[in-house]
Amino acid sequence: MFLRCFNDNTVPALCIVGHRLGIETENMAVLGGLLKAGASFCQSAATLLHTARTISTGTCCQIRMHAIPQLKKVDRWTEKRSMYGVYDNIGILGDFKAHPKDLIVAPCWLKAFKGNELQRLIRKKKMVGDRMMTLDKHNLEKRIRFLYRRFNRTGKHR
Amino acid sequence: MFRCTLVVCGRGVAKRFASSFPGESALPPNLLLPTNLVDPARLRRPPPPADCSLPLLRKCDAVVPAHLSPVQTWVETLARPDSEPLGLAQLHPDVFAVHPRLDILHEVETWQRNYKRISHASTKIRSEVRGGGRKPWKQKGSGRARHGSIRSPLWKGGGVANGPRGPTSYFYMLPMKVRVQGLKVALSSKMAQQYLHIVDSLNIPSPDPQYLLDLIRHKHWGESLLIVDVGEEFPENILQATAGLKTVNIIPAIGLNVHSMLKHEAVVLTLETIKFLEDKLLWHDQRYTPLYPFKLPYSDFP
Repeated sequence: MFLRCFNDNTVPALCIVGHRLGIETENMAVLGGLLKAGASFCQSAATLLHTARTISTGTCCQIRMHAIPQLKKVDRWTEKRSMYGVYDNIGILGDFKAHPKDLIVAPCWLKAFKGNELQRLIRKKKMVGDRMMTLDKHNLEKRIRFLYRRFNRTGKHR
Repeated sequence: MFRCTLVVCGRGVAKRFASSFPGESALPPNLLLPTNLVDPARLRRPPPPADCSLPLLRKCDAVVPAHLSPVQTWVETLARPDSEPLGLAQLHPDVFAVHPRLDILHEVETWQRNYKRISHASTKIRSEVRGGGRKPWKQKGSGRARHGSIRSPLWKGGGVANGPRGPTSYFYMLPMKVRVQGLKVALSSKMAQQYLHIVDSLNIPSPDPQYLLDLIRHKHWGESLLIVDVGEEFPENILQATAGLKTVNIIPAIGLNVHSMLKHEAVVLTLETIKFLEDKLLWHDQRYTPLYPFKLPYSDFP
């Protein structure tokens, strides 16, 4: 009952309606497939009406929307946003008694440190390893072992 | 950030116009106004002429190079909303009239956003997900695809293969002179676009936030104001007035930074702040490269 025989006039109209609504989800692929199926078997014999399969070239999107959603209202002048970045130049303007890296809120093994995953994990083990839970420590050591072997023994860069 | 507010403002404007009678000249609903629209009523007070009668309240302490001349600006007062400027002040051109290096501004702004950033996005890999030690079915004979554990990334509920791993930091430091130059460029840009105002002191008659808003609207300073003062103590009145306002903020001179200057439309400095900033920012032009970090004692600094 859903796969009714569309007239040749309505198929392009439905395509245009679909485009005008601007719904660019995977439903378009399904819709396009259905329309193509409808158009193709319209031209073929009428006995094949109830035996066509739905074609889907994309995944089925579970989110359904009726209209373009409204923009979320963001307050650009909250306390955090208006005071962002204050004291970043505390070294230059404050006689070098403090450094901007003292302002960073981070786990202690990541304060003023940047590294790839292996470097971060080694630093974490060095600084915090004796305080960690046994399962976390075990996983950390496994990951360090894996990454060491991966970086230093496989691939082009060793 | 500004583009979003612009689109919202544009939509607000468009909504107001769309509700009017359609026969009149209504703005089209998809009108996009440019972001650098300036309030046309903003008084473009010309820079002080050479033969001005007002007193020169401040001269440059540091030596101005011979091929440059100091920048002259008005010194105003916050005490009365409808007062004329009190006098003139001379600012050092190597701090307030440097070339507008937008690339340095961009670098410093990106640094400010990223050096503090810690991303806590984390996923479990296949060995960390609970379970999955046993082979689900034998290798051959069951007819199903071969698998080694139920927590491989192919499985639902399995680990993530190449996902974010643990807290990541994006810390880096720009060279000190680049950060200093960023401050100088920001101050020069604000001065050149007439968004920088100099004030003799921050004494206002009442702690009412509305007084400040009326003052700003009368003088056409803009939507948002950043007040900078040296020292740890501020007058009570201005602290109470700015505590109630979102877009007018007061910070000590140590807290001055490029992001706040770009976020707030107008910047107000006191005369002591200017002395402090010139002193701090000009030192870097003629310092020696550090042999050890500056926080350790030097015989001739500070």
